[in-house]
Amino acid sequence: MSGRSRGAVGIWRARNARTPRDRAYLVYAVLMVGLVAIVPVARAVWLSATSEAGVAVFASPAAPGVAALVVAALWAGALLLGRDRGPAVLPPFLTHALATSDLPRSDPFLAPVLRAGALVIAVTTIASVLVGGSLLSHGLTDSLGVALFIAVGALVGVIATVAWLAGQAFPRTAIPVALGVLALGAVTAAVPLMQPFTPWGWVGLSYPGNGSPHVLAVLTALTAALTTAVPTLLNRLDLAGLSAQAARWESATTHAAGMDFGAAATVYQGRPHIGRRIRAIRPAGQLPLTFLIRDAIGATRTPGRLIVGVLAITSAGVLIALAFAPVTPGWLLGAAAGLLVFAGLGPLTDGIRHAASVTSDFPLYGISDERLLANHALFPLVTVAVVLLVAVILCSIIAGIGVAEPIVSSLTIGLLALIARVSNALKGSLPTALLTPIPTPMGDLSAAARITWALDAVLLAALAGTVGTLAFESPILLIGVTAALIGVGINRWRDRG
Amino acid sequence: MIEVNGVGVVSGDVTLLAPVSVTAQRGEALIVCGRNGTGKSTLLRVLAGVRKPSTGTARIGGEAVVERDRGFRRRVAAMIGLPPMAPDLTVLDHVTLVATTWLDDPGAAAPLARGVLAGLGLEALDERFPHELSSGQTQLFGLALVLARPFEVLILDEPEQRLDPEHLKSVSRVLRARRDGGATLVVATHSPVLEDELADRTLRLDAAA
Repeated sequence: MSGRSRGAVGIWRARNARTPRDRAYLVYAVLMVGLVAIVPVARAVWLSATSEAGVAVFASPAAPGVAALVVAALWAGALLLGRDRGPAVLPPFLTHALATSDLPRSDPFLAPVLRAGALVIAVTTIASVLVGGSLLSHGLTDSLGVALFIAVGALVGVIATVAWLAGQAFPRTAIPVALGVLALGAVTAAVPLMQPFTPWGWVGLSYPGNGSPHVLAVLTALTAALTTAVPTLLNRLDLAGLSAQAARWESATTHAAGMDFGAAATVYQGRPHIGRRIRAIRPAGQLPLTFLIRDAIGATRTPGRLIVGVLAITSAGVLIALAFAPVTPGWLLGAAAGLLVFAGLGPLTDGIRHAASVTSDFPLYGISDERLLANHALFPLVTVAVVLLVAVILCSIIAGIGVAEPIVSSLTIGLLALIARVSNALKGSLPTALLTPIPTPMGDLSAAARITWALDAVLLAALAGTVGTLAFESPILLIGVTAALIGVGINRWRDRG
Repeated sequence: MIEVNGVGVVSGDVTLLAPVSVTAQRGEALIVCGRNGTGKSTLLRVLAGVRKPSTGTARIGGEAVVERDRGFRRRVAAMIGLPPMAPDLTVLDHVTLVATTWLDDPGAAAPLARGVLAGLGLEALDERFPHELSSGQTQLFGLALVLARPFEVLILDEPEQRLDPEHLKSVSRVLRARRDGGATLVVATHSPVLEDELADRTLRLDAAA
């Protein structure tokens, strides 16, 4: 970084200079979060990875192929992520000041890339330590093989960072390249003979137990070649793209800091660009049908979101069916299914969110708020029911599980997740009462209360998934969660606007 | 049609609107003028039923202002800030949907929507999504959404915002037509053009404050 860039960044940072007391508190807070939240989770992950079940997964014959596929997916994901939020992001004002100067963009924007890269490399390295350590702990590999794999893990992180930046510099090209990487990754995982010919395949070849030092040399050469492209990629970034990403990131982090995760997610929500010539409003004769068609056509205008949503609901259907298999942890699969249905409903409930915002504004539509919301609920209700039914029935038949119970369970979970979506849309801003400290012998619990409020719909959806799969064993739990969901929703409906 | 008697709004120690009284008849346009902070938007919010007055009373059509009342909602349309917009609908879809919910004949909605858009000079933008509009076009689009629904009273807060002179003339022409058709307009504005072309009565809040 040149002196000019360093000077500008220094002025920017000096605006919020921390006192020694603030710094001490920050260190204390980081230590406490690490000890209370991160260490137990890390320990649980390590114990899980080194357990018999964990080692069985990592030592399976398919593991190298899966590792190759995961790495291909990581690089493809990095390319796609860079289109919306690349690693070269600074605060909006700093972006404007530095990007409109005559400095080459590789000068001021290298530092945020290095910071982001350090994080990615740390994650991929830790993942490789986890896999290698697990196998080493059971004597299934030697130290050299683990060291080799850890080095490969770090290189994977470097390449992921370059791919992330490439996605930011070439947002249009990133999509076909990412899809190509993903497709070839799947082929490599399915056909091991392909492994020597693809970079992600090299990662599979370096898997502990059969790793080769030659692979490390080849991957190092590839990484070195790619990193030389970083300045060129940085200098390709344009002002409009940099400013847009900076503004969106600041907006998203501001919303997230205020516990408004829905608004934060909306900042990165895909905008429609296709299907504009298809009339979404058709004289159907009956308003519910008009709204059903309107929401369906609206959803197809962002096909990527719609496909992801339907896939998430389909996956949930598979999990619900498997939850009724004899030896699976049904409650856990149910919770995961609840979360997936809730997530999958996101792209299908744009109409519900619009209705929620309309009901707290001046009258616009010629129908009551209740009818408006009910009409907008039709499309997600029909879609979630159809997709879940198809997935549950097919999966149950293939797995040889009885169909009746998964069907009832899936419809229940779908309905409850939709209620959670409606309730979430009506949420409004954080109640001021939650800003009040809640002193306890264990410390101030107000932050936990705020997080619970912010994530209540997600938590209730997971709970709905669990009680939905346990409906035949403990119907009282289902009744309790349903009552809680409806109660929260009605309360928010009354308080709207 | 509109009777405002001594309406004032106080929040804590701050006077948002000093007490004012004014009336407007059917087919009249009441223009509300004044410096920033004199309470123009607050008065409009009282008339739209989303702000309760601290003093005085406001009546529309002889009845108290109650936003939750369906009859009131049918009678009074308001745009104080932009209305909510759906990101997945085009401009024409939006306006047609609003009209569809008000009309008994579903087939009449699309022609009505096209007419409203044409009146505001937006007909060339009917296939755009909201995020593809400029700020001035978004303002016109907001007006189109409100104008697509029936009303007896139309309340607008600074409809001239972000508009170029040509589009301001279009808005003025459309509002004049609505007024001449029997609607009562209440328009808070800083635009001399709108005041000159619309005003049957003018309430200057500088003086009132």
